[in-house]
Amino acid sequence: MSLQNVTLHVPPKDKLSGRLDVLMMVSGFLLALFVGMHMVFVGSVIISPKLMNALAWFFEELYLVQIGGPVILLVMVGHFILGARKMPFRQKEYVAFRAHSKMMHHTDTTLWLVQVATAIIILVMASIHIYTMLDTLPITAAKSAARIQHGNWMPFYIVLLAAAAIHIVIGLYRIGVKFAVVTRENRPKARKFMVYLLVAAAVISFLTHIRLSLLTI
Amino acid sequence: MSRRLHIEIFRYNPLDPDSVPHMQSFYVNEYDSMTLFIALNIIREEQDPSVQFDFCCRAGICGSCGMVINGRPGLACHTQTRDLPEHIVLHPLPVFKLIGDLSVDTGTWFRAVGKKIEAWVHSDDTAFDVRAEEARMENALAEQIFELDRCVECGCCIAACGTARMREDFLGAATINRVARFYIDPRDERSDDDYYDVIGNDQGVFGCMGLLGCEDVCPKKIPLQDQLGIMRRMLALNSVKGILPKGILDKMKHKGCCHEKH
Repeated sequence: MSLQNVTLHVPPKDKLSGRLDVLMMVSGFLLALFVGMHMVFVGSVIISPKLMNALAWFFEELYLVQIGGPVILLVMVGHFILGARKMPFRQKEYVAFRAHSKMMHHTDTTLWLVQVATAIIILVMASIHIYTMLDTLPITAAKSAARIQHGNWMPFYIVLLAAAAIHIVIGLYRIGVKFAVVTRENRPKARKFMVYLLVAAAVISFLTHIRLSLLTI
Repeated sequence: MSRRLHIEIFRYNPLDPDSVPHMQSFYVNEYDSMTLFIALNIIREEQDPSVQFDFCCRAGICGSCGMVINGRPGLACHTQTRDLPEHIVLHPLPVFKLIGDLSVDTGTWFRAVGKKIEAWVHSDDTAFDVRAEEARMENALAEQIFELDRCVECGCCIAACGTARMREDFLGAATINRVARFYIDPRDERSDDDYYDVIGNDQGVFGCMGLLGCEDVCPKKIPLQDQLGIMRRMLALNSVKGILPKGILDKMKHKGCCHEKH
């Protein structure tokens, strides 16, 4: 405990730093899990648009979409605020980090800047995405296909998907490193696994988009 | 055929009002098994006696010759020139106070963090009996402590840390590793809560962003990544004690590479 923080005669035992750290990790992990499930749900259109419609109907009947959507948005904003505690918003910090990453030429260091950039992209774009979806319920494969084919939403989703996939992969790796799941021994393996995960996400998203753009409405 | 090395060195003397930070080029003929430390000595002896850099042991033990070698912090005596390209750029370690050219003051920094984390064995001194036989320790445990004690405080991990560059009050990997060393020492009587008070904050473990610059540059190959992870997990679990069920916490505590309080 540093002396500057002792303003009371008896400094209170404060576990806030640790709890915020745990909260950031847990919220990030849950969001990653959600995005994974989301990807499987939308990907079900590859098998059949009927399957996607049925799943959508099921989720909406249970009000999972109507309640879950805003909750996910809240968790995401919360996760952003927790992460933003570390972001280099002050010019001095940004300049220092930029100089550092240029000096080091070190992947893990550079990836953190990517993490910050994708976080901001996701915050804005996923908010728009959630609003649009909730505004045009029910979710159907035909509506999604129309959005891709005529609504000019394709570039939007490509950027959002890429940002989300990259952010999640780096984030999961980072959680592993921070809590000694990814160790010196298995780090090369973990990095390889994360690349595979990214490729798998890219393939599923690509196929989903192809299917949606070829769907007759 | 031996190469002619082009060594570019950062020059600046903060004590000289006329001195301006600039890069200066030197050329040295390389020979077999030449280290950067040798090349620097040749420059100082034959070309410019005013070049400032620190060294003491020339064997990676004293930790004095830490510097930024082509962008990566490392020990000059530990670095063979044959592993580097022909053009070598040398800077002093960032974060630390510059003494001049490649020489920085790591001592003041390490003393300050050492005081902050109270880097000594905390035990009941009044119970110490000079006549009693010294307490015994398992050899495996002694080796484990020694593994972490090998740190020479060269400052490379601090200079390679993005967080330390951004935030002056961040303690850095060497410091957290030092706490980990006391954590596994059975003679240190500090509890998990006591350790939380020392590094359970954004200046300590929770400030670390897991960039692993420290892990990748450490010249002594100290398991910094693992130690940071172990300490962070221990303190993170400590912070949610009473919120999460004890069974889950205990289970998570013993997963993976986790040394326990002996």
